[in-house]
Amino acid sequence: MSALPTSLPVMAPVPAQGLWHRIRSDRLLMMWLVLAIVIVLLALLAPWIAPHDPYATAMRVSRKPPMWMSDEGVTYWLGTDVQGRDMLSRVLYGLRATLMISLLAVFVGSGLGAIMGVLAAYYGKARGPIMRVADILLSFPAILFGLSLSALMGPGLGSLIIALSVSAIPGMIRVSYSAALGVTKLDYMEAGRSIGFSDAYLIARYLLPNCSSMLLIYTTLQLGHTILLASLLSFLGLGPLPPFAELGSMAADGRKFLEVFPHISTIPTLTIFVVVLVINLLGDSLRDAFDPRLRK
Amino acid sequence: MKTQRTTLVLSVLSASLLLGMASAHAQAPKSVLILRELDADRYDPHRTTSRGAAEVLFMAGDTLVGIDYDLQTSVPGLAKSWTVSPDGLTYTFSLKEGVNFCSGKKFTAQDVVDSYTRWLAPETKGLDKWRAGQVDSITAPDPLTVVYKLKRPFGDLLRQMSQHSHTIVNMEQVKTLGADFGVKAFDGTGPYCFQSWAPRNEVVLTRHDGYNWGPSIYADATPKVDRVVWKIVPEETTRLTALQTGQADLTRYLPYYAIKDLGQSKTVTLSKAPVYNWTFFVGFKIDKPGMEDKRVRQALNYAVDRKTLTEVITFGNAKAATSMLATSTPTEGSTPFKYDVAKANQLLDEAGWVKRADGFRYKDNVKLSPQLYGISGYWKDILEAVQGDFRKVGVDLRVQLFDATVAWGKLATQEFDMFSMGFGYMSTGEGLNTYFISTSVPTPNRMNWKDPETDRLLAEGGALNPAAADRLYSQVLGKTSDAGVWIPLFHDPLFLAMGSKIKPVKAHGVEGTALYKGLDLQMR
Repeated sequence: MSALPTSLPVMAPVPAQGLWHRIRSDRLLMMWLVLAIVIVLLALLAPWIAPHDPYATAMRVSRKPPMWMSDEGVTYWLGTDVQGRDMLSRVLYGLRATLMISLLAVFVGSGLGAIMGVLAAYYGKARGPIMRVADILLSFPAILFGLSLSALMGPGLGSLIIALSVSAIPGMIRVSYSAALGVTKLDYMEAGRSIGFSDAYLIARYLLPNCSSMLLIYTTLQLGHTILLASLLSFLGLGPLPPFAELGSMAADGRKFLEVFPHISTIPTLTIFVVVLVINLLGDSLRDAFDPRLRK
Repeated sequence: MKTQRTTLVLSVLSASLLLGMASAHAQAPKSVLILRELDADRYDPHRTTSRGAAEVLFMAGDTLVGIDYDLQTSVPGLAKSWTVSPDGLTYTFSLKEGVNFCSGKKFTAQDVVDSYTRWLAPETKGLDKWRAGQVDSITAPDPLTVVYKLKRPFGDLLRQMSQHSHTIVNMEQVKTLGADFGVKAFDGTGPYCFQSWAPRNEVVLTRHDGYNWGPSIYADATPKVDRVVWKIVPEETTRLTALQTGQADLTRYLPYYAIKDLGQSKTVTLSKAPVYNWTFFVGFKIDKPGMEDKRVRQALNYAVDRKTLTEVITFGNAKAATSMLATSTPTEGSTPFKYDVAKANQLLDEAGWVKRADGFRYKDNVKLSPQLYGISGYWKDILEAVQGDFRKVGVDLRVQLFDATVAWGKLATQEFDMFSMGFGYMSTGEGLNTYFISTSVPTPNRMNWKDPETDRLLAEGGALNPAAADRLYSQVLGKTSDAGVWIPLFHDPLFLAMGSKIKPVKAHGVEGTALYKGLDLQMR
């Protein structure tokens, strides 16, 4: 009688080499990935590439249009805002802030959601309470939650990140639950249990890795949604306090001058549009690439 | 024959329908929609100082004395006449007959006594009580006479009696509603009756039938519209568009950039208040760490470029402040109200606040980073400009803005180091009394300015004629300006814009409300 294996083969995760090969072979996916990397680099390098201090006001050059050149020969490529601050520098810093806020919120919210979803799938008794929590959170609009939180804690970065994180939890619970439920019924999970692997080991070593591609794709799609929501809440005045540069609050600052100085509002709005579009399309392409039903 | 009969029946039906429609049109309620930016915290005249409340309370209630457009001349209100004793201590008011509250209750001198008693009672926690003078007694010898006795003369009493705090209320309703008075309902004698209030949405007023006792500044002192709706529209662009497209009738909350164009518009009429004192300022809590040093407050005054701020933010419509108030009273001594960055840096250095590599100033490892509370809306741009100027001298101003419905509560606390405010006043005495008497701490004296000398000068000034009082007020202005208690920013004009469905209305500067009693509101 041969001895039982001490470990089991991991079935679904694609090996790193295969993953990279699949990305490289999909031109569209490659394009969105490159664009997403460019956006992230612009955000990360903002302190070094921004031409001006984004918080330095100069009321004398207030509301100048894009490509405006000062008497000193300084060009403001995207113009200036109400306070005479350089729009390009503020957009770069705003992009950085919006991405960081959204990434942090998605990381926290999706992380918690994934853990709860997997636990619900693995432990039958936990399913009821966890899924009811998801139902309650889903029935509570994120904007209303953000407003309530802002009323309690006052507007600011803290309440914005909490509101966004909480809004990311329920969707991830459902996705991770359905992804994990299928895996828990597979033979190798039964086999693992029968040879005495601990629950924690089975979940960490087999269950989570086998759901990871679906969770990754969902997280990417969730990021686009979270950026939009973050911008929306900031637009409503629930985000960071002035003079913090954030795309949603920048769009709000210029909205009263939409007729006379449209660039103040439209530039940050277009930036949000492009970022969300790229991230959503990247998520779509990732899903197409990793979904065996859609794979050619 | 059958065809003819059918035609006849159809004709009669059509005619009836047309007549019905015409009649319905003739009887359609005349409703005026007024747009504004902020709501009030409540509509209890004794417990609110907000302009949002004054706008509604002037229409829903009345005061004994009214005020003309010049903000100087007192005119009869609920009182048809009055006499003042030679010593200036006793005012005897003869009341108008036939006045009633919206509830139908007959108005008598006892209502006046009850209203003032309630306002001045400590348990009411009434605001702005200085406006009543130092009251000795208020009595009603008969139903149409009120005797108002003071402990010391108060030269500005009659003008102050036109302010919304002096509104006469129905004490029966006050007792019935308790804390809900001015929230769920308000019963007054004004030209329009308080119908409903949906906070942060709208206040609906309806015509007070039989009202004819309005101030004589109106050619016809009767209400001419059936319904007045005060609607909150926070976005100034939306307010402007609604007015231009005829969806709304009036607003005094206009974007500065549009004022010049509106003056030339064919669809919108603009009226500028002939006399108006409204000052935007930032105040310090002078007993908070960091802010307790006069040099810091003076430095921050020198740091603000008011001229450029005013030009940019108000598109040149307002006047940059060079004094604390817009009135002509001179300020004794020198003021720190000019732009001088070098002087600001020097004062902060002297105060021991040292600039570090991050560009901000520290003392004993504590950053000079005052917390400012204010009301959201148009203040954001103004305060970001102030914040930018502070940064240039190494001060990190933290700005926290609240919705108007919670802001007034927040601004009555001791949580903040600085605050932003705009306020209206008819005279120097009123401006100073509103903010600087020690009994007004914590609100509206949010600075915690408690100075016996100021109290004495203001009390003595109140007893004198305006010219003599100005000499004392000049000293108070000098004292408070030198202390840098405020950073006065600019003095604002008042423009009232009205759409084409409304007959032109003359803007009134009283408490910045623009419409005062609303008795000239009339459809074209």
